[in-house]
Amino acid sequence: MADKILKKAGLGALIESVTGKGGRFVAPTTDSRQVVFKKVKSAEEVATDYILARNSFKEFLFPQTEVVAEFTMSKDSVDMKGVEVYAPQTVVFGARPCEAASLAGMRALFTWDFIDEFYTKREENTVVVTVACTKGDDACFCTTVNLSPESTEGTDVYLREAADSYIVQAVTEKGKKFVETHAAVFSEGNAKAEPLFMPEKIANIDIAKVSARLKDKTHYDDKVWARLTSKCIGCGACTFVCPTCRCFDIVDEGTAFEGERRKNWDSCQYDTFTLHASGHNPREHQHQRWRNRFMCKFHFYPEKFSSKGCVGCGRCIRVCPVRLDITEVMEEFSK
Amino acid sequence: MEKILRQKAKELLESGAVNVVIGYGWNRSKTRTTPVFITDPAQADTLVWNPLCVNNLSLYLTRKFKEIKALGKPAIVAKGCDIRNIVVLITEGQFKREDVFIIGMTCNGVVYKQELWKGELTANIMPTKCHNCDVRNPHMTDFVVGEKTNFTPPEVPTGMVFDKIKELDSKPQSERWDFWIKEFSKCVKCYACRQVCSLCYCERCITEKNMPQWIETSAHPRGNLSWNLTRAMHLVGRCTFCGECERACPVNIPLNLINQKMIGVVKESFDFKSGYDEKTHPPMIVFSPDDKENFIK
Repeated sequence: MADKILKKAGLGALIESVTGKGGRFVAPTTDSRQVVFKKVKSAEEVATDYILARNSFKEFLFPQTEVVAEFTMSKDSVDMKGVEVYAPQTVVFGARPCEAASLAGMRALFTWDFIDEFYTKREENTVVVTVACTKGDDACFCTTVNLSPESTEGTDVYLREAADSYIVQAVTEKGKKFVETHAAVFSEGNAKAEPLFMPEKIANIDIAKVSARLKDKTHYDDKVWARLTSKCIGCGACTFVCPTCRCFDIVDEGTAFEGERRKNWDSCQYDTFTLHASGHNPREHQHQRWRNRFMCKFHFYPEKFSSKGCVGCGRCIRVCPVRLDITEVMEEFSK
Repeated sequence: MEKILRQKAKELLESGAVNVVIGYGWNRSKTRTTPVFITDPAQADTLVWNPLCVNNLSLYLTRKFKEIKALGKPAIVAKGCDIRNIVVLITEGQFKREDVFIIGMTCNGVVYKQELWKGELTANIMPTKCHNCDVRNPHMTDFVVGEKTNFTPPEVPTGMVFDKIKELDSKPQSERWDFWIKEFSKCVKCYACRQVCSLCYCERCITEKNMPQWIETSAHPRGNLSWNLTRAMHLVGRCTFCGECERACPVNIPLNLINQKMIGVVKESFDFKSGYDEKTHPPMIVFSPDDKENFIK
C-alpha cells in the first residue's frame, strides 16, 4: 500500500498553503545561534538539523505575556473591557513526539476549574505536526517516562523522515482535516523511513516508584532534597523552556488612569513565587522550590489530571547553568 | 592537579579548618561538571578539575545561598576569573577575606559552554575572557593548585566580543538602538542572568519592588529594555566579565557586549578594573576629591 508522502521540497508549498489561508506557520528556525520555534514565512527558514528547539512551542498557545483585559479608572469608577482572544489558525511543524505529549496536561490545567479561552481557543485552532526523532543527545530521556519517538500523544499529524520526503500519518480528526485541506502538497508513494533515535532507558529509574514515593509525604522534609538540589540558583530557565510548565502571574500595567491586565509566565523557582503579603514564605529555601517542581511533574499532575507532568524532552537539563539533572533526582527517588 | 586538589580538600575538612568545600564534580554520565558541596572528607575524591569547570562558584558565597552559608566556613575551588568576583564581594563588604579559604587553580582556559566540548580545548570554543586572561595564575589565594603557567592561546578567533563592540561603536546611534531592541525583544524575563551572577546579590532586586512597580514584569519591549539596562547600570565598575550571565541566558542575548563595553568606559573614565585588589573600592561607591568630574567637589 502506498504511503501518504510530503516531499521535503514541497514544504514551501505547504507553508504557502497555510499562510495563504491566513494561518501562521510555526517551525524550528535558527535565531541567535540556536534553533528555536518561531513563525516562519518560507521553507528556507526552517531548520532541519536539530535535536529539539531550545524553547518549547507552548509560547504559541500560552504566550509569555498576553493582555487579558483593559481598564480605565476615574474618580468614582473602574471600567473593565475584555479583549478578543487572538487565536489564528496555527500549524506547529517539527515538534518532537515528547513535547507534543505535553498538551494533555496543559489542557487539563486550563480547563480544570475554569475554562481559560485564551488557551483553549488557540489550542483548538492549532495543528501539531510532529517529526519523529532521527537523532538525540544525552539529555533525552523520553523512554524513561514511558514515551518514545514512536509516541503520537498530542500529535495531530505524525511524520517519519525519509531521504527526500516525510511519510505522513494523520493521527487525529484535526490532522486528517489538515491533510485534506492541503491535499495538493501531499502525494502517494513509497519511501523508506530513516531509523529512529531511541534514547536508552535510564536503568535505575522507575517512574511508578518515583510517584509512589512522592505520594508518601514522609519525603517532604527529607535531607535528600537539600543534598541534591541546593546548587539550584533559582533562575527558572528550566520552567521557561519546559513544555509542561504553565504557571502564570496576573499583573496590571499602565498609568493611574488606564492600563492593561496582563498574564505573564511565572516560575515556581523564584523566591517571590510563594511569598505571602505577611512576609511569610512557605517555600523559603531553594530546595523546597525545587521539590515543588519535581512533585508537580511526578505527583500533582499524574494524580490530579492523570496526565504526564514530564515528557522527557531534556530541555531543563540542557539549559541549566549548574547542570542540575532531573534524572539524577528521579534515580534517587526510584530507590 | 586533581590529586593535589582532592588531597587539600580532604586535609581542610579533616582538620576542621573549613566545613564545606565548594567545587566541581561530575554529573552521572561524567560528561558535564556540576557544582558540588563537599562536607565529608571521604567525598573529597569526587572533586574534579578540567576545562569543563566553567561555573563561577563564587555565586555560592553570596548571601542568597543561606543553606550553604549554614554549612559553616567554606573553601572554594576558584579560577583566577572567579577570584576576581570574590575580590569584588570583599570590597563591597559581603564577607571578610578570612571568611573564605580560596583554593586557586592555575588555568589554561575553559570552554564557553559545556556542550561545545569535544575532548579538546581550542581557542575557538573558549570565551573571550580566556583569550585575554591575566589571572591564569590566581592572584588572591590561600593555596594554589597547579604549576605556574605562561599559556597564551594560539590563533585567537576574530569576531569575538571586542571586535563586535568595535563594529557596534562604528554604527550610528539609531542602528545601535535597533540592534539592542532586537536582542532584548527575545528576553523571556526569566532573570537567569541575575540569578547566576555573584554580584547580583541583592536579596530584594528592583524587579521585585512593586510599590511602585519600577520595572514592568511583562516580557514586552519596554519591560525588557528597562530590565536589561538597569542590570547593566548596576554592574558598572563591578562586573568582572566572568561571562556567566551570557552563558546562562536561555535565549542567547549577547550580554557580554554590554558588560565589556561598560568595563571599557570605567577603565577610560576612572582607570579602574574590578576584581584585582580587595583593598580598593570600586569607583561607583567611593568619594574621591581627585575625581575628574566637577560636580562631586
